[in-house]
Amino acid sequence: MFDQYEVNGVFDEMFAERGQARPHYAAVTRRLAKLNPAALDRRRRMADVSFRNQGITFTVYGDARGVEKTFPFDLVPRIIPANEWDVIERGLEQRITALNLFCRDIYHEQSILKERVIPPELIYGAKMFRREMIGVDVPRDVYIHICGTDLIRDRDGRYLVLEDNGRTPSGVSYVLENRAVMKRVSPSMFSAYRVRAIEDYPYNLLRCLRYVSPARGEEPTIVVMTPGIYNSAYFEHSFLARQMGVELVEGSDLVIENGFVYMRTTAGLRKIDVIYRRVDDDFLDPLCFRPDSMLGVAGLMNAYRLGNVALVNAAGTGVADDKAVYPYVPEMIRFYLKQEPILHNVPTHICARAEDRQYVLEHLHELVVKSTNESGGYGMLMGHQATAEERAEFAEKIKHDPRNFIAQPVVELSQHPTLFDDHFEGRRVDLRPYILYGEKAIVMPGGLTRVALRKGSLVVNSSQGGGSKDTWVLEEEPTAT
Amino acid sequence: MSTDTSKFFVTRPPRPMLARDADSVYWMSRYVERAEHIARILLVNSNLLIDVGDLAPELQERQWQSLMSIMRVGEPPPVTDPVGVLATAMTETPAPHRVAQYMTFSTDNPNSLFNCISRARENARGVRETISAEMWENLNTLYWTLRDAPARFDESPEDVYRQMMIGSMLFQGLSDQTLQHDQRWHFTQLGKFLERIDVTARVIATKFTLLKSLESKLEAPIRNIHWMSVLRSCCSIEAYRRNNIGDMEPVRVATFLILEPDFPRSIRFCVTQAHDAIASIRAEVHPQAIDPAERALGRLKTQLEYAEASEILRPGVPQYCERIQQDILEAAMAIQATYFLH
Repeated sequence: MFDQYEVNGVFDEMFAERGQARPHYAAVTRRLAKLNPAALDRRRRMADVSFRNQGITFTVYGDARGVEKTFPFDLVPRIIPANEWDVIERGLEQRITALNLFCRDIYHEQSILKERVIPPELIYGAKMFRREMIGVDVPRDVYIHICGTDLIRDRDGRYLVLEDNGRTPSGVSYVLENRAVMKRVSPSMFSAYRVRAIEDYPYNLLRCLRYVSPARGEEPTIVVMTPGIYNSAYFEHSFLARQMGVELVEGSDLVIENGFVYMRTTAGLRKIDVIYRRVDDDFLDPLCFRPDSMLGVAGLMNAYRLGNVALVNAAGTGVADDKAVYPYVPEMIRFYLKQEPILHNVPTHICARAEDRQYVLEHLHELVVKSTNESGGYGMLMGHQATAEERAEFAEKIKHDPRNFIAQPVVELSQHPTLFDDHFEGRRVDLRPYILYGEKAIVMPGGLTRVALRKGSLVVNSSQGGGSKDTWVLEEEPTAT
Repeated sequence: MSTDTSKFFVTRPPRPMLARDADSVYWMSRYVERAEHIARILLVNSNLLIDVGDLAPELQERQWQSLMSIMRVGEPPPVTDPVGVLATAMTETPAPHRVAQYMTFSTDNPNSLFNCISRARENARGVRETISAEMWENLNTLYWTLRDAPARFDESPEDVYRQMMIGSMLFQGLSDQTLQHDQRWHFTQLGKFLERIDVTARVIATKFTLLKSLESKLEAPIRNIHWMSVLRSCCSIEAYRRNNIGDMEPVRVATFLILEPDFPRSIRFCVTQAHDAIASIRAEVHPQAIDPAERALGRLKTQLEYAEASEILRPGVPQYCERIQQDILEAAMAIQATYFLH
């Protein structure tokens, strides 16, 4: 199975060098080597049927009938040893703490701008900066309750932060379902390992939501808010509501009266205290943001500003997601926490700065250029793979609107063996752990490992043909005494 | 060491239910029930044609028409084939087969089996957090089974229909055994029984009209076979036989299907169940109020409880059934106004 496996000169998660498995992968490799292709094929089909029958699908747009696809699932788990995870965990806790302090500061005192740590024009020019949130006190001062930070590993195996998703990160349902399917089709794989459980995520999420309820002292009514059944992440919205045992509402289920939010039930109106909304800021409230939105409810922001309802995540956190603000996160950590960052960023050139822009335009052929407000792998230029025309076109765009672009050197993501028919090939992976921030920060041990299934591709997004893996974080080895 | 257990017994108010969820749960249940009836009627009908199709050619044509009118659909559209490739194939396809295809798989036919299962599933998908995982998985699997079915349909349509009927029964069993019997479950019951009343009343009315008009032309054995098929369409043949020995007597068949007190396919039984469901919902949601749907169903229930065969025959069986359908429609509108539209 691994006879022909190539390490390809990048960091390989499983093999230190050709034929030489890393210690924490040894047991998995031994077990896989014993399986014949027919057994692997049977397992893969079991997994596919299981996903399909449970309706764990996402919708691909652009087709009249809206094709439902299952998220391709790879049978080999990605394994992270305890000592590596310890660093990631501490790094992510530090980061979400700083980001929350940043959001609070930006919408109140703005001391980080006054002390010129971040240029004010960068913040005021951010598309996701919400003037509507200035001076608004949010419950418990928490802005980013749920964060899905994307991590990648460079050639030396160092974990780097690619972006912080502090708006409405998705994918956590796949993490939980991947684990459930893995247990179903390959129970024996677990026997050689002590894998940390992730199943308490919905419980922790619910606790986090209760913590920010403005209705102190009474049992809060909590809901998940979805754009609706045709949203590509609808499965996840429904999944989380089901796991927490709360209602799943759409904008049309909500009514605002006297500054409070209610839902329409069979028994009339019922007050809501906390909304875990999976609807973007833009669509929350047509009176405040996009007037053409049918997904939200008029008056919601007013109720929010009055402190009568908690929104999770808070409105306005997108400012921290801006790719031109991202390079300043290490500075935020130093500024608010007086600590050195534990996890590092990918070096980033901000095109809004004249000297950076000059450099970017001269080195387009070796850089990845990204639009500051796009996600999902859209609006990108992979300079080293692009044609001269594409580069010229992007150069014009950058000159025309420099604030909208950043550039980074190409990071050779780490690769992981991925099953193709009867053999394994290396494919690039990233890692999205999920962090909850309520009473304290809780990092889910594991996360979504996404795989770029196309050979040589560095783009792992599901919308661009990515798959996923179960991700195992190992318990600390009991130390011999 | 003793634990304070009092906090586990705090009386809590019943959990609210979104009006939209109630709407979806109700329709999910109605569509599953409808799909089951369509599958059964198509199955019975094709078996009937195998038995007596040649013996009564005049009936064959009208048999299909009556089926379409029970299902409230028009004729299948003529096959358009601009290129002409399919021409021979289509003309060689016998009409009954085309109708069966249209009733089973067509996406143009709003009441095809496929569309009913699809809509049931769409409704279920919108309330996955309200129904149980088992219910959703069962319905979703049923949907995929039907989607994959056209390939093996020609070989054995019966197989496909049986799968759909069993799938529906399983779904109803899962609803009973995996849902808490609060308003969520009562809405599924309400949808199921209202749909069953509606279809049963239509089957009786349509078949009664059809068979009465041909009665003089049919010989006794063939007539019997037809009345048996009516009972089969309502899943009632065995129960009827246990209660009535001998010939298929049209009036007895009709009164059995309408008035039998404790058979789950009779209209009276279903009305009682639907009434109980709406009464429970009303008690949970508006303990003090009087509910118009409850009133409509309560009235019908009492009427059926005290009805005599002669009361059905005086206006005529089809007319009596149409009146029942009117009452059911009134109740359904009232449910919508009271619980789904706030």
